[in-house]
Amino acid sequence: MNHDTFVIHNRIRALRFGHREMTQQQLADRVGVSRQTVNAIEGGKYSPSLEVAFRLARVFERPLDDVFQCVPTNG
Amino acid sequence: MGASFEEKSVWIQLVGMTLGLGAYFFVAGRMLLSGVTAMPAYAAVFMVATALMVVFLVAGHLVAALASRPEGRDERDRLIEWKSESGSSWILAVGVLGAVTGMCFSVSIVWIANALLVSLFLSEIAGYVLRLAYYRRGM
Repeated sequence: MNHDTFVIHNRIRALRFGHREMTQQQLADRVGVSRQTVNAIEGGKYSPSLEVAFRLARVFERPLDDVFQCVPTNG
Repeated sequence: MGASFEEKSVWIQLVGMTLGLGAYFFVAGRMLLSGVTAMPAYAAVFMVATALMVVFLVAGHLVAALASRPEGRDERDRLIEWKSESGSSWILAVGVLGAVTGMCFSVSIVWIANALLVSLFLSEIAGYVLRLAYYRRGM
């Protein structure tokens, strides 16, 4: 099988600042994860489950692909 | 980024187990080399080491909980634990196979018991190290 490779980017940091400079802790409390998990997602160190991804999108009142983008990688 | 309570807990368990069981293996190793073959002697040392380890773990978690509010485990903590266990459990499996092989060759029960403990110890330590690596470097 030939699979294309992708990397997941997100706009959580920008969206937080667009929502009255919401802190990572405030976002974590609303989504139901730890602040460190929000930090890891923002930094691209952890890809959340679909459930958490949808909860994040709901907090920002945006569609999922406004929060997360799947970008093809070269090679 | 500051460590979560879960990550601090892993550090406490890593240090506690290294100190507690490390001390046991230091003493047990000397006993094995001097020819002690009575299991109760090893069991007594093991119980003392385990009791000290439990005291360290309880005290460490109390201090960590007082220092910062425990957030509770989330999906990332559970995934990290699962991935670490799946990456370290082979060490215990090797130890069990080694112990069974030793039994086939009538190796002393004291050596077999300690070999099993070593493999459990190494498997746990490797699991903690992997968890810390996943927390720091990401998955």
